[in-house]
Amino acid sequence: MTLAADFALQHETDPASLHDTDSAPPHETLSERKRRFEQLVLPHFDAAYNLARWLTRNDQDARDVVQEAVLRAYRFFDGLRGEAKPWLLTIVRNSCLTWLAANRPAETVGFEDGAVELLPSDEDGPEIQAARNFDRRMLNEAIAGLPAQFREVLILRELEDLSYKDIARIADVPIGTVMSRLARARRLLAESVRNASSISGTQVPK
Amino acid sequence: MTNDEANRLLHAYIDGELDPAKTLELEAHLADHPSLRAACGQLREMSEAVRLKADYHGAPAWLEERIRAAIPADPKAGPARPAWWGWLRPAGSLAAAADWLRPAASFAAVALVTWVVALGVMRPGEDERITQDVLASHVRATLGSRYYDVASSDQHTVKPWLSARLAFSPPVADLSASDFDLVGGRLDYIGAQPVAVLVYKRRQHVIDVFVWPVEAQKAEQTLTRDGFNIERFAKNGMAFWLVSDLARNELNDLARLLAERSAAL
Repeated sequence: MTLAADFALQHETDPASLHDTDSAPPHETLSERKRRFEQLVLPHFDAAYNLARWLTRNDQDARDVVQEAVLRAYRFFDGLRGEAKPWLLTIVRNSCLTWLAANRPAETVGFEDGAVELLPSDEDGPEIQAARNFDRRMLNEAIAGLPAQFREVLILRELEDLSYKDIARIADVPIGTVMSRLARARRLLAESVRNASSISGTQVPK
Repeated sequence: MTNDEANRLLHAYIDGELDPAKTLELEAHLADHPSLRAACGQLREMSEAVRLKADYHGAPAWLEERIRAAIPADPKAGPARPAWWGWLRPAGSLAAAADWLRPAASFAAVALVTWVVALGVMRPGEDERITQDVLASHVRATLGSRYYDVASSDQHTVKPWLSARLAFSPPVADLSASDFDLVGGRLDYIGAQPVAVLVYKRRQHVIDVFVWPVEAQKAEQTLTRDGFNIERFAKNGMAFWLVSDLARNELNDLARLLAERSAAL
């Protein structure tokens, strides 16, 4: 399959570990550094929070994780290459994972094991029923109920409008895996909403 | 192009991730296969439904402020400073204007001295330490969501719990009629002594009321520290320090109510 996005992606698993140096531009004062960080990175604060909130599924936990992630981002600000948004989200995502591994280990299952979704699957066909009438609450619950590795790509794609390439970088998987996870996410979501609708008796046209 | 391949490419197609050559090929295939076309339309609707209907969780404004304040001027210093440090700088515009650390510190010092001189009662060192202590206590409790050691809306539960653990018995008022709901109490260590902390809530705002015995009476004083309002007064042998992100006038109302009720309790 051919994608417009570049396959030769340089994965930056953890920008912090790769760029653990502190080489600020030569004449930058600390206040300039802080201001530059605020200008480049903080505009993506909502995106950071949105991702953390969807991954932890809890406001309090999202606040803690985002605070930690942003301070961490500032410490390793010199490692920023390219766009700030995927860079920040990579750090937030990794902070979420660390947090989940420590606090809710069951939810991180499947995160690091992308090979499974690369297998061809007929089930990921496009048989998805009309989504026009999806109930808002039901849809949100269905997304929250998705396994984390599917929820993550769906949020990054649909709510943050990121490219496959950026998502691959953030989730640290090949672009092919992003595609298959996204397909699976949409299919699981459709099934979940359909099931919820049939239980509650809401009419969802097939 | 096979149907299987077309099926697989649909997601990349609706996401605008397919290269132009494959896009043309897929579109030609779709033109010949109505069922696939329908599937494609459904997929688009699905994507759109998520975009339109899934909750976008924007960050609360106070969180951004808090984090801005917590960003150290010296990255190598990292989290070495206590959490309240970042909160003790003067309000945003001034701080953003320049290298905030030194001007802010001197500004804070000048403000503090002015304030203490105006107050003319307490020793500056002690006063500043108490201010820092109550702020730090409030911030710690908020960050960790550990607001209280005893959770109760009943003053007859909170008061004995505190009295049993302290050398004094703090006045605990039921102010629910005025929309200040008692949610609990905790112990802390302020100004080198154990104190009672009464925790009230109004809407989503948590208000910590620190209480300990003092001799002097003191009129109400208000102070704002980086988004937090602090009200303090001393009456009927007790010092009261109120800390919250609640609006200043509302916090003032609570201080007034507590002052009125402290005599009766």
